[in-house]
Amino acid sequence: MAENKKKRLNRREFLRISGLGLGGAALATTAAAPAKSSQKFQGGKFSDPAGRPNRPWWVKTVDEPTTEVDWSKVARYDERFGTVRGPGFAGYVGEDEVDRLSAAAKELTLKGMLEDIDGYTLKDQALKSAHVGYGRSFMGPQRADTPEERGVPKWEGSPEEAARIIRAAMRHFGAATVGFVEMNEDNKKLTYAVDPDGKELVFTDDEMASEDDNYRYIPNKCKYVIAFTVQMSTETMRRSPTPLGSQTTTLTYRRSETIQASLQEFLRGLGYQCLSSSSTNAMAIAPAWGVLAGLGEMSRLNRMITPEFGPMVRAFVAYTDLPVATDKPIDAGIMEFCKRCKKCAEACPSESLSFLDEPTWETVGGWNNPGHKAYFEDASTCRAYWREGVATNCGICFAVCPFSKKDKAWIHEFIKASSATAPFLDGFFRSMDDAFGYGVQASAEEWWNLDLPEYGIDSNQPVMEG
Amino acid sequence: MSEKYVIEIKKRAWYEWVLWAIWFLAEIFVLQNAIASGGELEPRAATLFWVIFFVLLVAGGVVWYLRRDK
Repeated sequence: MAENKKKRLNRREFLRISGLGLGGAALATTAAAPAKSSQKFQGGKFSDPAGRPNRPWWVKTVDEPTTEVDWSKVARYDERFGTVRGPGFAGYVGEDEVDRLSAAAKELTLKGMLEDIDGYTLKDQALKSAHVGYGRSFMGPQRADTPEERGVPKWEGSPEEAARIIRAAMRHFGAATVGFVEMNEDNKKLTYAVDPDGKELVFTDDEMASEDDNYRYIPNKCKYVIAFTVQMSTETMRRSPTPLGSQTTTLTYRRSETIQASLQEFLRGLGYQCLSSSSTNAMAIAPAWGVLAGLGEMSRLNRMITPEFGPMVRAFVAYTDLPVATDKPIDAGIMEFCKRCKKCAEACPSESLSFLDEPTWETVGGWNNPGHKAYFEDASTCRAYWREGVATNCGICFAVCPFSKKDKAWIHEFIKASSATAPFLDGFFRSMDDAFGYGVQASAEEWWNLDLPEYGIDSNQPVMEG
Repeated sequence: MSEKYVIEIKKRAWYEWVLWAIWFLAEIFVLQNAIASGGELEPRAATLFWVIFFVLLVAGGVVWYLRRDK
């Protein structure tokens, strides 16, 4: 009897072991599944007539963005008062302070190279200064043949078709996500009143856009807004705040110049106008357009966070007279998560980010544009830290954000979905994010040993499939 | 002389199978995250997921061993 019992036990064991073995084989396959499915997605056809991505069920389209906007309080912003560029910053802290901060930055930069400080070595600085861009212009290079020059009528198609081919072209040029909005009297205020170079942006009934020494004229017919993002390297940004870490931002801006010019030339080739930034972050508030186009939500960073790439994108915008199918804002639980997380604010060395529980209408300084309820940042202390503290762009807030994740591990999608549907778990997710070591600064020297994909980004990371 | 065999079939409660299925799915989930976290260059997350995986595996083994004749 004992022998029989033993045999029976062995068979059960065998079956269980077989089951585990099969399970193990399945696991090995599924571990690599995200990359495979994204490759399949990238080779597949658009399932939507306008080429909209099939986002997961927890990314909901909504009529109004999760950032409250009082359009009556929104005014067209004079971008000369932003803090990124010298004159704006000096206006807030004074010329003497700018000189002092610049001298400190220069000293730190030199010290970093002479003493081989991690992320500040000569090779890091050389990499940062290596990015050469295409340049930007309001109306584009104007070199592509127009349909008229080719002797054919201009391209005609439905708004859905137009949106789809622009999406396809822009993904091809290197954009991560693309969305569209139709301009109205309210959201038109997201166009700057004055560009960083001092030229006034004027809407006119002219047929064609133009510019002179003092003005840039935007035809009212160019009322279709193309908002797009360009992905940054999460792995590189983890080396922030160092010149090495911040150069992914520089690289992304340089790449966006090519994408912008290509878009302008593509639409010119179809027989339409495409107007965009004459310099970095000019013409309009791109993240705001991105939010209205459903590319992401505003956040505690006072920047846009996307469901796909978190904050690891830069936002850009262009206006066209080609009618396109428009998109709606989204609610993916991002703003709600930001209310409870505060990881970026805690990590900010200059304490420039808001610790408020709820977003507010009260702006912090002239660099903020009133009329929306947000977590306004202190851009003057942020920029001062850039110069005096690290002698480069910072980016810590981007690097530590719990949404700054790659897409390989299933846990990230699980948490995003859970957070969007059960916000009461957000605090727990934030704690787990810390416990699992996400957002910890990585060695800059180690970066030089990494075999990263092109631009340091995972270009197979899909715009999410549902 | 003929031998006499006794075949004893024990039917486990349905919820026990459900619990084993949940355990198995949890193991798949944790293992995927352990492997993928390595690919994401997240060493601490990968280590923790591997620890969770093996703890769950051993816990499952112990439970199975203790209940094998029940």
